[in-house]
Amino acid sequence: MLFFSFFKTLIDHEVTVELKNEISIRGTLKSVDQFLNIKLDNIQVVEEIRWPHLSSTKNLFIRGSVVRYVHLPSSIVDTALLEDASRREATAAKEKKTG
Amino acid sequence: MSFFGFDATLPRDRGHSSKAPGFGQAQDAFAGLSGKGVADDDDALDFEETYDGLGDQLDETDDTFNDDTFGNDTAQAVGKDFDFAGQTSRVADAIEGEGLLWQAKQPPPNIHATRHNTQPAKPAKSGYEPYAQPTYIPDLEANASIWGINPKRQAQPQQSHPRQESQAPPAAPARKMMSLEEVEAMMLSQSKKPAPQPAPQAAAFPSQAQYPAQYGQIPGQQGGFSGPPQILQRPQQPPTSRAPPQAHAELPGHAVPPPVQQQPTILQRSRQSGPDQSARHTPVQHAQRPPSQPRQILQNPNRLSGHGQPITQPGQQRQGEFQRGPQMGPAHARGPSFPGVVTHPEQLLHLTEEERAAYLIEDAKRAKRNHKIHLLSKDNGLMTPQDKNFITRIQLQQLMAATGGLEEHGPEAALTEDFYYQVYCQIRGTPRQNPHQPASQFAQTYLFQTGGRYGMGRRHHRGGDNHMQRMEQQVQRAVEAAKAKPKNKQLVIEGSLGKISFSNSKTPKPLLNIKRPDHGDGTQGSGRRPSGVNAHGSPIIDRKTTLRNIENVYDCLMKLEDHERRMPPPLAENSDPQTIQAHMEWQTQTQKLHETLWQDLKIMEPINPNSLTPHPFIAILSHAKGKKAIPRIFRQIDEQQRIIMLTMIVVHLDMLSVVAKAIPSADEPNLSPAIREEVELFSHAVMPPLFGHIAESPLNIVIGLLGLILDRTNLHLVARTKIGMSLLTMLISRAELVKQSTPEMNPGDWEQWMQLYNRLFDAVEPVLPLIFPGSVNDTEDVYVWQFLAAMGVGASPEQQQRLVLGVKDRVMDTVAVSKALPAELASVRLGHVNLFMRAIGLDVELLG
Repeated sequence: MLFFSFFKTLIDHEVTVELKNEISIRGTLKSVDQFLNIKLDNIQVVEEIRWPHLSSTKNLFIRGSVVRYVHLPSSIVDTALLEDASRREATAAKEKKTG
Repeated sequence: MSFFGFDATLPRDRGHSSKAPGFGQAQDAFAGLSGKGVADDDDALDFEETYDGLGDQLDETDDTFNDDTFGNDTAQAVGKDFDFAGQTSRVADAIEGEGLLWQAKQPPPNIHATRHNTQPAKPAKSGYEPYAQPTYIPDLEANASIWGINPKRQAQPQQSHPRQESQAPPAAPARKMMSLEEVEAMMLSQSKKPAPQPAPQAAAFPSQAQYPAQYGQIPGQQGGFSGPPQILQRPQQPPTSRAPPQAHAELPGHAVPPPVQQQPTILQRSRQSGPDQSARHTPVQHAQRPPSQPRQILQNPNRLSGHGQPITQPGQQRQGEFQRGPQMGPAHARGPSFPGVVTHPEQLLHLTEEERAAYLIEDAKRAKRNHKIHLLSKDNGLMTPQDKNFITRIQLQQLMAATGGLEEHGPEAALTEDFYYQVYCQIRGTPRQNPHQPASQFAQTYLFQTGGRYGMGRRHHRGGDNHMQRMEQQVQRAVEAAKAKPKNKQLVIEGSLGKISFSNSKTPKPLLNIKRPDHGDGTQGSGRRPSGVNAHGSPIIDRKTTLRNIENVYDCLMKLEDHERRMPPPLAENSDPQTIQAHMEWQTQTQKLHETLWQDLKIMEPINPNSLTPHPFIAILSHAKGKKAIPRIFRQIDEQQRIIMLTMIVVHLDMLSVVAKAIPSADEPNLSPAIREEVELFSHAVMPPLFGHIAESPLNIVIGLLGLILDRTNLHLVARTKIGMSLLTMLISRAELVKQSTPEMNPGDWEQWMQLYNRLFDAVEPVLPLIFPGSVNDTEDVYVWQFLAAMGVGASPEQQQRLVLGVKDRVMDTVAVSKALPAELASVRLGHVNLFMRAIGLDVELLG
């Protein structure tokens, strides 16, 4: 849930989603779910010449499993908090394992 | 089926059957007999009154009179008939309606009687009619003369239905058998007596006689009509209906008999059925009616079973409408009935203006509505509401089962699961939903939404509610079930080669499943750590140990922070024992956690000055996350512990990575980015709490700290680093502040301080030229000027001179450089220099 939780904080920020098929799409993150499916708005393909068929698309839904990277602005990431969150998750996982 | 055979059989059969139902058994029998007999003994029939009747009938039937009279009568009757037929037809298909109309056409001849037997097969044929309609129907319609007949027939069915239905089946066969022999006898008797009974029989004969005659004489015409009959009943029917008029015109001789028949039929009917009387006005019509009635009755059932299926619904509706149409008015009864069966446009033509308008309006409405429905629901019907609810329930179940854990443990678990988001939003003040909104609330919202959706659009509020209730119940049950049984993450089906792993939102399917060996890193690390030789061991392990220590610190910190949130309500005088108890427990727990944290920090580990390994706590500070932890730790520890920590840092000042590695060398005047970053982080994370503490420390502590620095650290190194210098600055300035703010301070303390200061000054003086980072162009030298300023404030005039001498070059260079800089930058640089210059009573301007 960490990534879900994390991506939720990126909502309404501009991100660049790089797909496993090399397409990079920049757009405003509108929503994300626990499978990290992503909804983007006002999208723009980074290499529009290579993917002209996407030039008319304004918003899209990306299945989480096809995402390779999400490039995000570092200013909106609270690394300390993220570290803590991952610690919590790790702790929870450990407890679950032993418990 | 050659139409010859068809025709031949039809007349006979019809004669028999039609008479049977319509007239009564005895009469029908006569009719059938007479029909056949008529052909043989036309003379007998002719002799009687048939001639007279023919003449009247011919003129009248062909003309409008018959239609009008019958139309009026029939219209009223028809309305009811159509209702009857319509009701059945509604259930069945449109063909039925058509069939009724066709049947009505057929009746004219008595043939119906025979048909009853054969009809079952014919109805089946009528089922094919729809296919043939386009071609054949027009012809039938074209012979619109039939119209007159139709209304009559329509009217008749109403009157005779009940009787015929019951009587017809048994009577028909008997009459047929009887007919041949009896007919002759009857003929004889008839010739003698013009009795009413014989007359009906005669009536039947003429019609039959006409048909044969027609067929024989005008094969071409009939063939045109009859050709279709082979395929369908309709074609056959129309010819029969048409036949009479044609026969009349063409064959006067033949035509004569029908009138005779009709008259008798009238008489019979009057006896049998009262209602018929109204229609009897014209003998011809009556004669035609009786046959039609039986057919309709018999055919209807057949059609219902057989024809109904093939017909399309729209067809039914239309037919039904048309049938109803005729009922409304007499005029309609004639025309519309036929066209209605056949085609719409023609029917419309026959309709009156009002009718047509009404029909069109209705049609338009229907079309509009259909269109609207179509638009509203393009994929309507793909899923029924039940389907949708089912899916929704499944989804909700999944949702609730997945997040059920959250709900159980409340906000705590939610915070664990969704920690980043929750805290992030709190920190950044991002608008978000209720932070601790339980999942159930979400689900309920969702449920209400769906409920509303169903409720609003449809009238079935009840149904929606039920669905909602069921959904809620099911969700509840699902959650309970999920709680009750532990989740199997994998399903291994017996005999299968693989296993199916499940995933949900909480535990997505693991792509990597790494098994950690039992004797993992943990034991290794812990095994080596106690050895204490780590210093000489691989640095990696040391690093790991340190990292683990840091993690322990963090864990403890988070527990503490969590624990803080759980603080029970503040105690009051009237607090109940439970609250007090909770408070006590909370306090104890806090205490315990604090101790753990302190231990995890490793601050109290013995200091081994000779060890090459840094002290564990200092090692912690060498990691970024260790540095970041300091401010948080500082919040948690008490005053004493803070002093200890400060002391530890000060003692190891030259061992701090940010000091030891941050000394610019001659080769590398500029620090590496990594180190610089580290220094930056340290000054942002660690220094502020230290400064905060120092700023509140009494002089003796400052003295103690400075003494430690002077005694335990290499001041040359410390003084050349930003961190070291900042710390020194802090201590000096604090001392100066204390001195200024508390005039009546202990002179002994001040004396002690002055000693230390002098020591410091002496230690720093040699490195004064080196304390500046980088070249003159390096702008990040504020801290040095701050240090110099701090030193200058407390320095004696003599020391101040030494200070100025030590940094004179830098000052002059900076001033020179700043002259070449833009005004803003120059003023900044000069301002920095002035920090020092003013501290010693000078100003950069003086140098200008």
